[in-house]
Amino acid sequence: MPILDYITVSFLVIPLIILVLNNLFSKQFVERINFKLVGVVAILQMALAVAGFSLLSAAHWEDYRFSLLWDWTMEEAGYFAVNSLSLVFLFCIGFVLLVAVLVAKATVEQRKTAFVNLVLTLLLGMNGMVMVRDLFSLYVFLEIVGISSFVLVALFQLETGLEGAFKYLVMSSLATVFILTGLAFVFMQTGSLQYAQAWADWLSVQGTAQLYTYLAFILLISGFALKTGVVPFHSWLPDAHQSANTAVSILLSGIVIKVAGIYGFIVLTKLFPGFPPVALALRILGLLSIVVGALFALRQTHFKRLVAYSSVSQMGYILLGLSSGTTLGFLGAMVHIFNHATFKSTLFTNAAALSAQAGTLELGELGGLEKKMPVTGFSSITAFLSTAGIPPLAGFWSKLLIIMALWKSEAEGFAAVALLASILTAAYFLRLQKKVFFGQLPEKFGAVTEIGGSVKFAELMLSAVNIAVGVGFPLILLFFEGRGLL
Amino acid sequence: MDAVIYLSLGVMLVAGVMAVMLPSMTKSAIALAVASAALGMILYELGGIWAALFEISVCSGLVTVILISAISLSNIDKEELPKVYEDKKRMALLPYVLIAGGVMLVAVALWAGFTLPVADQAANLGTYLRGILWNNRQVDIWGQIIVLLTGAVAVVVLFRERD
Amino acid sequence: MWFCLGSVINLPGFGWEIMMLIIGFLLIIAGAYCIIRTYHLLKIIIGMEIAMKAVTLLIILAGLVNGNLALAQSFVITIIVIEVVVAVVAAGIAVSLYKKYGSMEIRNLRKLKG
Repeated sequence: MPILDYITVSFLVIPLIILVLNNLFSKQFVERINFKLVGVVAILQMALAVAGFSLLSAAHWEDYRFSLLWDWTMEEAGYFAVNSLSLVFLFCIGFVLLVAVLVAKATVEQRKTAFVNLVLTLLLGMNGMVMVRDLFSLYVFLEIVGISSFVLVALFQLETGLEGAFKYLVMSSLATVFILTGLAFVFMQTGSLQYAQAWADWLSVQGTAQLYTYLAFILLISGFALKTGVVPFHSWLPDAHQSANTAVSILLSGIVIKVAGIYGFIVLTKLFPGFPPVALALRILGLLSIVVGALFALRQTHFKRLVAYSSVSQMGYILLGLSSGTTLGFLGAMVHIFNHATFKSTLFTNAAALSAQAGTLELGELGGLEKKMPVTGFSSITAFLSTAGIPPLAGFWSKLLIIMALWKSEAEGFAAVALLASILTAAYFLRLQKKVFFGQLPEKFGAVTEIGGSVKFAELMLSAVNIAVGVGFPLILLFFEGRGLL
Repeated sequence: MDAVIYLSLGVMLVAGVMAVMLPSMTKSAIALAVASAALGMILYELGGIWAALFEISVCSGLVTVILISAISLSNIDKEELPKVYEDKKRMALLPYVLIAGGVMLVAVALWAGFTLPVADQAANLGTYLRGILWNNRQVDIWGQIIVLLTGAVAVVVLFRERD
Repeated sequence: MWFCLGSVINLPGFGWEIMMLIIGFLLIIAGAYCIIRTYHLLKIIIGMEIAMKAVTLLIILAGLVNGNLALAQSFVITIIVIEVVVAVVAAGIAVSLYKKYGSMEIRNLRKLKG
């Protein structure tokens, strides 16, 4: 089907073309249009992902292979491929990118060309990551994502940004060492790193060679855990996400940790289904993240830092969903990935609005802004209710699916703790709401007004998505059932 | 051939540990270059000629140049250096850690009777590196191109004076 | 003389392959130790490089063991390219930090806490 060829290739070619265009013309000209161009790229990516998804499911194909300028039908040639999983990820990437660009219009005032360049390389890296079919290529694109993220955090060369970027870089390079060492052991025993290779043989290895298998698993899991920022590998995450420009924080928290980290876990669990140690490791990491992340979030005094710790906590739910090893849990994790992208983007967009209008993000200084900034307050409350899993908002459904999957796969204890941890989530967000939007309005905020323009639009759009997904979720469940997934 | 590998491995380990332990940054960077060159030697001996070339020219050469220029940018008083960074004190434990780790690993290897049978490369002798890199790893080549683009953007951003 | 050296070190059932594996692990430990303990920003980059050297060694070893050295070699070349770009970015961030604080001390990095 040649149309799918065009669709799939454009996920890589369009960002490359825009990247070239962005550097081809004079700075004055480019800076007038490049944010709009990135916005168009984001919308196009969402549309193409939807189109590709419908074509793929209409044709009942498992995946669709393609290449850029080479013949992948050659013997042993490498290839890119899309399947429904990568298309869902591509949609989420486009969605978060759109929000980030809307916010960046308000928050990025200098170095626009460099910002757009880096966002595009980040986009290329993430799109590549979900479309490769080889563990080593996964690592290559993972590094592209990593390098772009470090430089994006350090972009404005403020003390905090540079510090966050350096910590992120050090932790990421440790993760690289872990992942590559793990891959070396996998490669040693299989002779290839392609997903399609017969991995089951490798798992049936007996004797002392089994030690290498377990070593590889430990290394790969800790590597991806470092990239995701789950407890106890989370030390870099709040620093990087707090110190970055808010538009960059949206990208990092909304999608980068999921593509760079969670997608790696998905590949591992897909490649080795029903391998108990992996499931157990994911469960323990997930549970630790949920509880410890929420406890840390409770005592934060900076808006963005609190939201970053909330990301750590929510990643735990996704890992728990993946650990169940069932379709139900996997669906729950995927829906939670999208929902988390929505509500985390909302909260960071609120942070952008607050810092633009009130000039600070310290919780101690803020207060009583509900009347002054009604849209920000409202979108913040929808995001908070969704994160805490209050029906009928989107977050409730994904958490429900995850907890049901855990219950069914006989991990009742984990399910119960995940359920109870929702109270912690509600607690830290209630504290946030109380400190920022309720209570006494400090005098210096008397003249604060609601933010306008693209940020307001992003807030309204995200709240609408949040509510619409929540209210319309039964339809999505029907769609899953129709495809025989439930 | 075996002797060269043993020797290079030894040099690599010693140079690597020295790179970590030496209090002077310049010497440390040079020790890193030596470790890198030793690795290049191992790669060459084992038949990875192109990888050896890259390792020696890029890692041993370019990275050292980058490090030395970064070090010279940040030149503080030579007498002050060890006092400020306390490398001697902070790194003092490393040899013991390594010896303990080494003894443990050797003991495990001997006890479990590990073997890593080196396979005959004859089956793959026909597939030259060029063939592999250009016919099987096109995805990686695209990845490398994008990595280099990212690197170029990063250098422009990071080394530009404040505007 | 070198051949004698080789045969002396060559313990029974313990070839250079295992030794390569062990030295790889030791260098990874050394690199990680360096990253954790040092107070100097550039020394962190050196630690990262040392660990990456060890990884390169392990990948080549893997290629030798499974008989696919050419593939391992192409991996190594890709890794080297990426490693250099990461080192440049790290050095760039370190130099920018130096310009802010006037020293390469990691103990300056205390703005983000909690």
